[in-house]
Amino acid sequence: MSTKPLSIDVSDGAAIPRKKDRGLFSAWWLSFFGALAITAFLCITRPDPYLRILAFVPDGILVTFQVTTLSILLALVLGLITGLGRISRNRALNLIASTYVEVIRGIPLLVQLFYIYYALAAIPYVSKLPPLASAVIAMGFCYGAYMGEVFRAGIESIDKGQTEAARSLGFNRRQTMLLVILPQAWRTILPPVGNEFIALLKDSSLVSILAVADLLRRGREFAGETFFYFEAYTIVALVYLIITLVLSKGVSHMESRLNYYDRH
Amino acid sequence: MLKKLCLPLLFALLALSLAACEQKPEQKSAEQKPAAAATEQAAPKKLIVFASDCTWPPMEMVDEATKDCKGFGPDLVKAIAKAGGFDVKIENTAWDGIFAGLAAGKYQAISSSVSMTDERKKTMDFSDPYFEVQQGVVMPKTATAATLADLKDKTIGAQINTTGHFTAKKVEGAKEVKGYDEVGLAMKDLVNGRLDAVICDDAVATDYALNNPDYSKTLAVAFLVKPDAPEYLGFAVQKGDKATLDLINKGLAAVKASGEYDKIYAKWFKK
Repeated sequence: MSTKPLSIDVSDGAAIPRKKDRGLFSAWWLSFFGALAITAFLCITRPDPYLRILAFVPDGILVTFQVTTLSILLALVLGLITGLGRISRNRALNLIASTYVEVIRGIPLLVQLFYIYYALAAIPYVSKLPPLASAVIAMGFCYGAYMGEVFRAGIESIDKGQTEAARSLGFNRRQTMLLVILPQAWRTILPPVGNEFIALLKDSSLVSILAVADLLRRGREFAGETFFYFEAYTIVALVYLIITLVLSKGVSHMESRLNYYDRH
Repeated sequence: MLKKLCLPLLFALLALSLAACEQKPEQKSAEQKPAAAATEQAAPKKLIVFASDCTWPPMEMVDEATKDCKGFGPDLVKAIAKAGGFDVKIENTAWDGIFAGLAAGKYQAISSSVSMTDERKKTMDFSDPYFEVQQGVVMPKTATAATLADLKDKTIGAQINTTGHFTAKKVEGAKEVKGYDEVGLAMKDLVNGRLDAVICDDAVATDYALNNPDYSKTLAVAFLVKPDAPEYLGFAVQKGDKATLDLINKGLAAVKASGEYDKIYAKWFKK
């Protein structure tokens, strides 16, 4: 029996195309260094508004990061619970998880923010919630629903044979999920989670409606006071662009690492 | 099953949107007729578009029935247009970026309780003043503050980049100064106990504290800020737009002379 067919099946990943966008002139490098270069150029040639704005916004960037990171953590936990609930055989759990997803997906994030911060404030304890916490809860719950779908799809993408194999080896249902399915599903789940992370970072600009001093609000404050509207929003856009480009690079790096393990 | 359901649904949606579309032209033609009749008699008047952030009662707010701007500002603008001999349109615009829109020429003037500050005068021109304002500090009834210095260690809210916001920023030792998109949102946070004080124009402060049935139970105008120099509201126009400015000033002078200004003032401020 020859080993050749076996080696083709397992280690030769010809089916997965190698990523081609490496090199200096890919869209990513062009955007990233373009954004950096424009920012630097503006700050050097016209330091009066541009450098002043850049010096004005860093605490806003920090708040944007805070909101994003905390929300994504909440969303991941909620997403995992929801995803598992959606594929659960327990009908009550399934119904709760599905309803949560349907309801949250049907309401725009901006409306959710308003609702949690201003409408729910009629409830005694909720009214004491600081805006940052309200923002994190609203965004976490919103993205938790989307994340739940990512988790569900990831888990469902694992071949049924894996479950059958694990079960016939004597794993119980819980062990099968935790030790066999989830570790494999994680690979499929991780890239979309990265994308959600980037989307959440951009959507975090919506929390400026709650007077949270994030990057966008800092830009608006500067613009309103000095009338440098064009300049302020240019810098805000460039900073958002640079941050999301760094994140997207991280995500695609992660993706290629996962593909690497697929091949070898 | 799903397909069977989808088609009628689609048709229903289509019909609905068509019905919505059909209504509009009718309304328009109904509106246009009197306007057309009026212009036939006289030479076509100049149209000046005013921008106004209609979230600032009683100066300017949205009418519940017509969804147009109403209030002291719009009434005054309409009277000025009549006296000054030009057509007027008031566009509801968000405060954030209202000056950028003027600079970009999206409208010719702003009638949104704009205080004439030296900073603003650098980038736009103002009409003659039409209103004097002071900054009012709205606080819970239980609060005892009487001067800005008493707001030390307090959280203060205001509408972003209004003179109230600038005043709040000047408070020394304030715990935090928050800029909201609308003054109403700041008031809501004050009622909910997340803020200690809200600073805004006195007319607006009085309206929120005394005329709003929900808020008047808990809120009161704690004190008025004594300004270094009197603060006036004016209509803002693009820098150097003398033609528009002259029309507005002419109308404003006529309205003030004829006593119509006092009537409008009484309508909105002496209930």
